Amino acid sequence: MSVRPCPNCGADIPVDNRFCGSCGAKIDLPAPAGPAKTMFFGATQPAGKAKLTVIKGEGMDGVTYLLNATEHVAGRTEGAIMFHDDPLLSPRHANFTYRDGRLHVIDEGSVNGVFIRIKASVILGPGALFLIGEQLLQVEPSPPDLGPQPDAEGTYFYASPKRPSKMKLIQRLRGGEIGMIYRSRSDTISIGREGNDVNFLDDPFISGRHAQIAISPEGQVTLTDLGSKNGTFVRINDEIALDHGDHVFVGQQLLRVEIT
Amino acid sequence: MHLITCNRCGKENQDHYKFCLGCGNELARPAPAPAPTPSAALGNDGPIETARTVLPPAPIGGVSGAMATTASSGELRSSAAVAKPKSGIPWNDSPKMPAPVPFSLPPNPLAGPAPAARATGAAAQPSTTPAPVRMTGGPAPASDTVSCPNCGKAVQTGFAFCGACGTRIGAATSGPQPRTMFMAGSTSAAPAAAPRGRLILIRPDGSEGGSHPIHDGDNLIGRGQAPLFDADAYLSPRHAELSIGPNGVTIRDLQSLNGVFLKIATEEPLESGDIFRIGQELLRFEVISPPQALEDGTEVMGTPNPGFWGRLSVIVGRDVDGSAFPLFGEAIVLGRERGDILFPEDGYVSGTHARISLHDERVFLTDLGSSNGTFLRLRSERVIPTGSYMLMGQQLFRLEFR
Repeated sequence: MSVRPCPNCGADIPVDNRFCGSCGAKIDLPAPAGPAKTMFFGATQPAGKAKLTVIKGEGMDGVTYLLNATEHVAGRTEGAIMFHDDPLLSPRHANFTYRDGRLHVIDEGSVNGVFIRIKASVILGPGALFLIGEQLLQVEPSPPDLGPQPDAEGTYFYASPKRPSKMKLIQRLRGGEIGMIYRSRSDTISIGREGNDVNFLDDPFISGRHAQIAISPEGQVTLTDLGSKNGTFVRINDEIALDHGDHVFVGQQLLRVEIT
Repeated sequence: MHLITCNRCGKENQDHYKFCLGCGNELARPAPAPAPTPSAALGNDGPIETARTVLPPAPIGGVSGAMATTASSGELRSSAAVAKPKSGIPWNDSPKMPAPVPFSLPPNPLAGPAPAARATGAAAQPSTTPAPVRMTGGPAPASDTVSCPNCGKAVQTGFAFCGACGTRIGAATSGPQPRTMFMAGSTSAAPAAAPRGRLILIRPDGSEGGSHPIHDGDNLIGRGQAPLFDADAYLSPRHAELSIGPNGVTIRDLQSLNGVFLKIATEEPLESGDIFRIGQELLRFEVISPPQALEDGTEVMGTPNPGFWGRLSVIVGRDVDGSAFPLFGEAIVLGRERGDILFPEDGYVSGTHARISLHDERVFLTDLGSSNGTFLRLRSERVIPTGSYMLMGQQLFRLEFR
């Protein structure tokens, strides 16, 4: 059965239904109604073309962008998808483009990058940034301990006692400063609002048990979302193919990808 | 606690005293336990172990240096000590600091002027620096008392020290010979000018180890410069310079690898990048600045700052940080058991050790009466008073000069 997302809540509904089974919103065929606003001429999306809907919080949708051209630049001062009030967007931030019949998002060399919501687990590359609630975090595997090494003059460096750790979790504050660094002696770190290795009690967007990080003996870091409400997002390298239902962060804008 | 009976006057003294409280005679001591050799070992347990239980607790907001402490206790107890010399009230609370002969005790600031001290240029010294006193062996009055050459109080004949100010009375110079001050092996051929000061090694058990003379002018401290420094692989070959000048002693870090750390006596202002030590922990303070937009108007994304004004990082290697703790609110307390940032595995950190506070738009570091003290790394150079404690390499030293 062919389905499409509810313009209100995003739930998949059969194409011939007049009301969303999940939230009860009336499906006004063919044009999406309610808070969504049509940006381009042409109400219907041809098959295979995508829409980006801005998510404004609890069940509320904002603007919907129909991606009918080949390239759709998002930025603070450039492109068809423009949010000039968002200081976290670079002037030209990302490009939503079709290639080989699939929608891709390309980071146009932005300062803050493009984040995509992970499904279950992903492998984190070195220094990869990820978002949990309002927390921008990073994992750094601990380097192997080479033991004391004298400098060129034969002097040894005095440091705090070495307490072996597998990896550290780094919190990046707005502006780029480091906030806290948590060193883990075990090979997993659980993150959430309470009862975890690392807790962010004041972050209302984090679930009680939100995500977990694991490091393999070879130093490979895996990030797993533990079924959180708001999800876990990782920064992409350069570009990534998008599927229906993907969620993408650019700047402060959370976009939902809908492909009919 | 054991008591040692003075073999001269018979008074009982606490076993860690080096001189009899009654007569000033040097006490016969049981053979000290062999001090753990400050090994050139490369472990991380070296330097602060040196400081273990050694340092007298820093009085909060008190005067710096044990010499000054001695002076103040002398003031407080002057009358009692004179009236009842054998009442057991020590004139010196700091038994680790028996004034060796060349380093006279500071004058009582409440007492009259000490002409001899003035003559040596003491008046030009900073007020925090105890002025030297010369042995004048003051004239004995006809009675059975002598007047103290320093403060003028009457002191019973036969007493080796003034009960009011603690000055050694001249007659006592006929008493025990002072300990050997400097390491043997130095060329004693030339009768060089007597050193103005010395750097005394404080051993892990709290006793004094060797010492290194400090002469007028510049004195280079470094591995290979003197026997006292040679075994310490954490000391750079050119580590620091001590200079005796008209304004006192200046210590200068010669861009050494591990730096020079001074024990803080009062609230010390912190600047971003300052490094300090509590227990075995080497910590760096940094200011967290408010976010600023980049040139193109973009702001770097990240966790919204909930009010962090600084960060404390644990240094675990050269250019390697371990944990980092955000600093927020008015003050953050560091300790082993109580406080906001805890080091439960570091036995050299006191239960409550130090505080980092923000007031008057500045950040300050304060020691909270810890056993081993809080040591702040010198940014460049600093004039320091006599009695200052400093960590260089793995070793703890006390500087004394006149």
